[in-house]
Amino acid sequence: MLTIKALKFTYHDTTKNKKYGDMEMCFNLNVKAGEILSIVGSSGSGKTTLLNLIAGFNKPSSGEILINGKDISGLSVAKRPVTTVFQAHNLFPHLDVFTNIAIGIKPSLKLNTDEKEQVYQALESVGLENLSTRLPRQLSGGQQQRVALARALVRRQGVLLLDEPLAALGPAMRNEIISLIKKLVADKKMAALFVSHQPSDALLASKRCAFIHQGSVLDLSDSETMLNNPNHPEIKDYLGTL
Amino acid sequence: MKLKLGYLVLLLLMAFITVPLASLFFASDILGSQTNQESSLAFWNDAYLRRVIYFSLLQGTLSTVLSVGIGLFVARAFARYGDFPFRSVILSLFGLPLVVPAIVAVLGIVSVYGSQGWLPLGSDLYGLTGILLAHLFFNLPLAVRLLLPTWNNVPQQHWRISSQLGMNNWQQWKHIEWPALRESLPSVAVLIFMLCLTSFAVVLTLGGGPKSTTLEVAIYQSLRFDFDPEQAVVLALLQLALSITIALIASRFSHLPDVEPNLNIRSSIIPTSNKMISFMFIASAVIFVGTPLLSMIIDAARGPVIEVLNDASLWRAAGFSILIGLCAATIAVTLGWFLLSASAHKAYTGNIRMAQFLELSGSVVYVVPPLVIGTGLFILLSKLVNVFEWAILIVILINGIMGLPFVIRTLGPAMRQHTQRYQCLCESLELSGWQRFKQIDLPLLRKPLGLSAALVTALAMGDLGVIALFGSPETATLPLLLYQRLGAYQIPQAAVIAVFLLASCLLSFWLIERGIGGKSSDEKESA
Repeated sequence: MLTIKALKFTYHDTTKNKKYGDMEMCFNLNVKAGEILSIVGSSGSGKTTLLNLIAGFNKPSSGEILINGKDISGLSVAKRPVTTVFQAHNLFPHLDVFTNIAIGIKPSLKLNTDEKEQVYQALESVGLENLSTRLPRQLSGGQQQRVALARALVRRQGVLLLDEPLAALGPAMRNEIISLIKKLVADKKMAALFVSHQPSDALLASKRCAFIHQGSVLDLSDSETMLNNPNHPEIKDYLGTL
Repeated sequence: MKLKLGYLVLLLLMAFITVPLASLFFASDILGSQTNQESSLAFWNDAYLRRVIYFSLLQGTLSTVLSVGIGLFVARAFARYGDFPFRSVILSLFGLPLVVPAIVAVLGIVSVYGSQGWLPLGSDLYGLTGILLAHLFFNLPLAVRLLLPTWNNVPQQHWRISSQLGMNNWQQWKHIEWPALRESLPSVAVLIFMLCLTSFAVVLTLGGGPKSTTLEVAIYQSLRFDFDPEQAVVLALLQLALSITIALIASRFSHLPDVEPNLNIRSSIIPTSNKMISFMFIASAVIFVGTPLLSMIIDAARGPVIEVLNDASLWRAAGFSILIGLCAATIAVTLGWFLLSASAHKAYTGNIRMAQFLELSGSVVYVVPPLVIGTGLFILLSKLVNVFEWAILIVILINGIMGLPFVIRTLGPAMRQHTQRYQCLCESLELSGWQRFKQIDLPLLRKPLGLSAALVTALAMGDLGVIALFGSPETATLPLLLYQRLGAYQIPQAAVIAVFLLASCLLSFWLIERGIGGKSSDEKESA
């Protein structure tokens, strides 16, 4: 169970002439184990910042990040029970598929038999058992994201952060990866946050959805209701139905 | 018109390379009579020749290994300690060796490591040790500046994944930094090896006789001291063969280092590693690069400044140096502009192969060492005229054409982008010829144009290679005057001339870069 309570962060605009301006952000939300919560919102609203705060890449000014009731906001990035799948560059180009997954268990890559078995099981879970010796450049975009998901699996962390993992994929591949994510999250009982630009992906991926607007959660409700019959003008504007 | 001028430059370049080379071949008559063949065979078996080749390769290899090896750690220190105090000042200092004349650096090295220096090495300085120190002085900062941008090429996500996986310093090096560096390392190493192989002034002044002579210096000695053109020709051909081999190896690397790399490290993204170790690496490199210059300036301040400044030969030499620098830059920039305009136009019309060929032809002169061209011209012209009377003209021409690769590298990318963006617009507005150059091309390309002109001027002003071959006391430039003073063991006078030459090069560089290039857009905004 992931709970975010009054998590505050100030985004400082470092562009010339303060083109975008500073932004005060404050987030509140919760995700149950085995659940995917989709995060949608326009560019610059703070979706990725929210994930960065949970992962520890950005430091909040105040607030709590509770995982199973324990506040992790003071922990270093490496100590947090969190794993992230990015939009791109998830894999190290010089390592083959097996090693890219194995590095998620031990960066030293000195794996015992059980750990090697875990890697093979993860490869099987994502349907890539025959491609373990391939290099990332020999894989399609969808296959690369599957490897990233397999690494997330072997990390066995309670929270999975998905930062636009489908952005570089075509429609058919998107549906396939969403199905895979749903299955893995349910099987491993992870709490997952799924950031997407596409409302259709959010609808497909999760029952609940959070709409982020200017650094805070404007609405957190049933995906169908929010995205098909939006109440807020900001969401209507985002969906282009205003 | 644009294309015609480009092709004309291409023809000129071909003539500039082939005529001296043909003169070398004819002069050598290697394929001639049996007697000649026998004498050539004897020459190939000559122990001196074998020694020269061995030493050329040895010093080049060791200089490269040391420069790149140490440069790797210093670059990493800069990358992993993004907020190091005075970081940008130090990196600017590391850009200095690019415009510091080799003969000046040699004097700085002697000033620190010579018998009267701060860290005397005694007679060991003259030979391999001294050559390696001087090459390290030049190429360590170059390696740092060329390797540093590699850290920026690592995707942000890799650093984030590494911190999420809890990778330690060694694991980050092994899985993130080294794989990225492996891509750029060979091209940097080949470039440095090439620079060391064709290094002339350093080996001429710090080389200790036949034991520590490279091909470049041996060519010079054959012509100027042994009066043996036959030997010079064989040596020049050997040097050419070596350079072509290295250029062929270099052509295997698609990525060539930038002349003006982006050295701003994204410190918010790249995690800081052990600050103490980084500090030690950076401080050691700064001391190594800074002390020869500092020591030389102190020596000059203590030296006979007034006496040297009152010497008419200094001002005559300064005049020749400035003349050579400015004329060489004019030649290089003009030829480069015509060649690049034609290349960019070809690229715009979709003829990529021709565009690449035109651009590459400007860099081909780099494969042929200036001394080889000089030797060919020397042998050809010595039959027709008194070469020493034509010295300045020949030196200007060779330095101008040898500066062309620098123009191609600095101006080329900007010219390509400029043509892609504005060619269509200019055509629709019927802007062409002088009007287009004045209203569109010059204002938008003045910055890379200024940088390339400044670079060629400084390099030509500090060149000792070609002028040493053709120069005489009447036509001495500042580097030659400095070399003559060093040869006469007038070290205090030499120190003053060296600082004068260094200041002239830096001032010319700054004035030309600012004069043509103008202020950068950032500076204009802040003003």
